[in-house]
Amino acid sequence: MEHIKELLYKMADDLLVLGHRNSEWTGLGPILEEDIAFSSMAQDKIGHSQALFQILHELGEAEPDTNAFMREAKQFHNAQLLELPNDDYDFSTIRHFLFDHADQLRFDNLANSSFEPLAKVARKIKGELKYHVFHADIWLNKLGNGNEESHARMQTALNHAWNYALGIFEESKLEKELIDNNVFEGEVSLKNRWLAVITPLIEKANLKIPDEKHWAPVLGGRTGYHTEHLEQLVNEMSEVFKIEPNAEW
Amino acid sequence: MINSLDPRIAREKIAEDNTIAPLTDMDNWETYEVFHQKKRGDQHVHVGIVHAPNAEMALLFGKDQFGRRGITANIWVVKTSNVFCTEYEDQDIFETTPEKQYREAGGYKVMDKINKYKKENKAV
Amino acid sequence: MYGNAYIDPNEKPKSIIDGEDPIKLAEFEARIARGEKIEPRDWMPREYRKQLIRMIEQHGHSEIIGALPEGTWITRAPGFKRKLALMAKVQDEVGHAQLLYSAAETLGKNREAMINDLITGKSKYSNVFNYPAYTWADACIIAWLIDAGAIINQVANAKGSYGPYCRALDRICTEESFHLKYGHDNVVTLATGTPTQRKMVQEALTRWWPPIMHFFGPSDKISSHTEILMKWKVKMATNDDMRQQFLNMYVPKIWDLGLTVPDANLKKNEETGKWDYTEPDWDEFKRVINGGGPCNAERLAVRRMAEEKGRWVRQALLNKSEKYVLPLA
Repeated sequence: MEHIKELLYKMADDLLVLGHRNSEWTGLGPILEEDIAFSSMAQDKIGHSQALFQILHELGEAEPDTNAFMREAKQFHNAQLLELPNDDYDFSTIRHFLFDHADQLRFDNLANSSFEPLAKVARKIKGELKYHVFHADIWLNKLGNGNEESHARMQTALNHAWNYALGIFEESKLEKELIDNNVFEGEVSLKNRWLAVITPLIEKANLKIPDEKHWAPVLGGRTGYHTEHLEQLVNEMSEVFKIEPNAEW
Repeated sequence: MINSLDPRIAREKIAEDNTIAPLTDMDNWETYEVFHQKKRGDQHVHVGIVHAPNAEMALLFGKDQFGRRGITANIWVVKTSNVFCTEYEDQDIFETTPEKQYREAGGYKVMDKINKYKKENKAV
Repeated sequence: MYGNAYIDPNEKPKSIIDGEDPIKLAEFEARIARGEKIEPRDWMPREYRKQLIRMIEQHGHSEIIGALPEGTWITRAPGFKRKLALMAKVQDEVGHAQLLYSAAETLGKNREAMINDLITGKSKYSNVFNYPAYTWADACIIAWLIDAGAIINQVANAKGSYGPYCRALDRICTEESFHLKYGHDNVVTLATGTPTQRKMVQEALTRWWPPIMHFFGPSDKISSHTEILMKWKVKMATNDDMRQQFLNMYVPKIWDLGLTVPDANLKKNEETGKWDYTEPDWDEFKRVINGGGPCNAERLAVRRMAEEKGRWVRQALLNKSEKYVLPLA
């Protein structure tokens, strides 16, 4: 079961951390309509994370709330991409595009997983994920092809995010077990499918993926190595919960 | 600098007396009228507007502003400038004389004749 | 989330119908008296348009500014359930601002002009949002009692005469009923929880009581101005009536939880059927509404920051060949 738990933890943490980051835009977005749309997706991410923590709980781990909000930053398994601060809407949009495509493809594969609880969640959230990538694709395209400033901003943000995004696909020591047992296709296969999907979309947005010889995936997130930003976020997200961890809130 | 209780705001390091140039016209783009269909077979119903720079985004925004609760089968958006309408001032063009019973179902009362006919024939 | 529109008591009402076409005015008033709605491209008196724009715009501003004190707690809300619900609630407030600005636009003021008036401090918004939400419990009290006050106001205004505003309010009231339940559930959970939680919620109630009493505004001076606005169904209830309705509905619920309202004089007067209370400090109210509250500067500075941060995004997508036309409904 360790291989499945490990997969669940990294996915649940990715979604929990990104959901929090995206939620920071609520009430502060670039225009009211987009504020509302972005908030819906942040809610979805947190909801998906909760569903995965629930499966973990059924596998004997702590209650979802305790598990999500009582661990320290070094116990988190999210990719570092997701903990980076929002900065501007350029970086937020690029991260949303890069991660959400990987997320959709991952769940797409998991919809046929031999581990039924995860397959069930994957099937249930399919529509939400489809909207997330619709949204991401349109925004990438419009800002990439917008004016000179937006184009330059998006290219800079893409350059900054790229190696972090490659870190999403950091392989686990238990990768072989996941693949052999038909739980999950594995990170290498997922990464290749992801590249095939996003490359033409990035081109259509008039943007360039950094030259392959500069690719250097930022690893470590999956095994608890994080930037200082995660500690700040983890303290924040659990601040109230930790006042009385055993109370109902 | 604003020392906010809100960690999101504190991170932004905002000067309390920050000034910005006013928003210019069209900064928030044009508007699209949104039509919402609850389920297949229903009419699309006008539910409001969104500000959007193009139809694709108007659809994204319409989905979340008018379809985030309850059920939705379909959404239309139409640029406000493409909608033509009658004037409320001319609402009286829809008024009509009551002598138009010939085109209403209620204008045909065959039962009166049938009952009369039946009564007379029974009598015979 | 909104109290009543703030009308400057020094404003001179004498010219309210001066120069209006008497025949059109009579038709307009007859329509309202018949219970029919006024729609955007109908003829309407200048003062009707002006007051409605001011009222709906202030209401819209209150929603978008109201998203800030509660937004303070979005990333910190305790546990999945509360986090998701608070996100949805603050999202609704932003959605309400969108609906209200859209309704005001139909009267001829574009959204950019309204935002400009907000961020320069020219327009008002509900005074309660100039107070900080110190703890999680403050966010719970806001969600319950401020939203409760807002519903009383909004249900009344939804019966007003201007079609687009009524339609927006119908939708808003539906969503507010979730806010009210959510807020009540939060406060009940804290009040029936551990001693620490109970202390938190009592302190928050004590802090928020004066702003809640201010929420509906000072007693109306019943002037000829107010009378006309009530005849035109712009103003639907007096500030005192709404405050009484609020006290009647919510004080018993607060007392049920064993919480203390910080007003020793608060009680229902059996003879009049009305609530007696200590008169709120209206000098404080005036001081805060004119910029002297603990968070006025922050709220506007944050709005300016948000507008400025989004500007490049909006500009990049602007299609210069498009023209703005007023929304239809």
